[in-house]
Amino acid sequence: MITQVLFAALIGGIIGLDRTALGQFMISEPVVAGPLTGWLLGDVTAGLVIGGTLELIWVLDMPIGTFVPADSTVAAVAATAIAALGSTTPGQLPVIGFCLLLTVAMVPVTMFADHLMRQRNAQIPDLAMTSSGRPTEARVTFWHIGGMVAFFLKAFLLCLALVPAGLVLVSIFLALPDAVHRAMSLFVTFLPLLGVASVARKLSMNTLDRTLLIGFLIGAVSVQLFHVPELAAIMLAAGGGWMGMRLHGA
Amino acid sequence: MARNAAVIRTIDLLGVFWRSFFIQASWSYDRLQSLGFAFALIPILRRLYPDREEFTGRLAAHMEYFNTQPYLASFVLGAAARAEEDRASGRNAAADNMELKRTLMAPLGALGDSFFWGSLKPFAASAAVAVLLAGAWWAPLLFLVLYNIAHVGLRLSLVFVGYETGGDVVALMSRYNFTRLARRYKVLSLAIIGCIAGTLSAWGTEFRIPVAVSPSFLAATGLALTLGMIVLLRIGASPVKIMIGLAAACLMLAFGGFA
Repeated sequence: MITQVLFAALIGGIIGLDRTALGQFMISEPVVAGPLTGWLLGDVTAGLVIGGTLELIWVLDMPIGTFVPADSTVAAVAATAIAALGSTTPGQLPVIGFCLLLTVAMVPVTMFADHLMRQRNAQIPDLAMTSSGRPTEARVTFWHIGGMVAFFLKAFLLCLALVPAGLVLVSIFLALPDAVHRAMSLFVTFLPLLGVASVARKLSMNTLDRTLLIGFLIGAVSVQLFHVPELAAIMLAAGGGWMGMRLHGA
Repeated sequence: MARNAAVIRTIDLLGVFWRSFFIQASWSYDRLQSLGFAFALIPILRRLYPDREEFTGRLAAHMEYFNTQPYLASFVLGAAARAEEDRASGRNAAADNMELKRTLMAPLGALGDSFFWGSLKPFAASAAVAVLLAGAWWAPLLFLVLYNIAHVGLRLSLVFVGYETGGDVVALMSRYNFTRLARRYKVLSLAIIGCIAGTLSAWGTEFRIPVAVSPSFLAATGLALTLGMIVLLRIGASPVKIMIGLAAACLMLAFGGFA
């Protein structure tokens, strides 16, 4: 188990680099980081469910200026690792729901760690200077690239602390009555709607946004009345949004 | 003053493009991307200033405060490369690179935040989550493809556009209408997330409600819940608080025998 926790922390550290320090290809987004972690730890379903659910909730928590948003990468990786290592069978829905709930406690911890690490990074530009107060190419390259170590360690150490703590809580959770387990399965079902609400809230000024409601109607009618496959319904809704946009000259 | 006749080559700009992926490697509150900017510009400075003293001086100059949206920093890097070339060749020895950077970073920051973080990312995420809820395992790949075609393509292009235009934001805006594109991505995102709520009864097995209810009732419940949560978010409730409330409500339903 110690090796698996270390492996999970290593995954968190490496994926965490993409969040700010390296590339920002969005491998660190929960919808990718979760399934990737789940696949590496042998429970893709947990990763897909956790990553997909957390994605929409945190996607518009934006890193503008010096604001550091909630670290949804560490939350997704740690929650997936806890679910993968703590479940008795892969894809155990109540455990996945419980791990999603655990991310609530992870968010402030990750933000605080991010804040501390970025404060410490402030000394790096001074380290790139020689004693004469001038930079050299070698020193700039060494200290700048070295800055990634801090980002790696932040995510690595957070996962190293959060995953074992989560595993202890999961073992307690598994001993709770069956009604609690059913509640967590229900929680998984409804939580994506919070993601929908979070995105709608940030993208539109109106609660009853016209495009949102058109998308809802197209989805509901095509799936329920015409039994259209869900993937086709998504395409239809996107097409409906596109046509509405063209009609209004956007 | 003796001037260096060296000009920037495509390979140098490609070097800047490659290094731009590391621009935030040492991000900090005080200096933000300052060291990253200097690091990314090294291939240009190396080409233009073979003299060690001059190279070091220009490297130090580029270590001053800098921060913008990390992808659009590529445009500023291209513009700074042009200004350095003008300065080194004597075409415009007084080219004030620092003023150029200061002028560009705030508007490009706002533009990039709004386009990449505020519209492209939610669009790719909405599409991927919709596909994931439909039970498709390849949703993460869809997200990466939708996002990175625009991200990497623009990052590469912007280095060259910045260099060619010398940092002309009007030329940039006429080539890429970010505001219009952002509006389109936002509309598509809203339509897709609306569809997510509407297809609640058809979500993949992991997300399927464990109680037998009619699909119409389920869709209506989904819409009511979504709108209720939008209202809660509008009046200041955080997603974390709503998650706790939702978990509490699920517990009550389960203990009440409804689940």
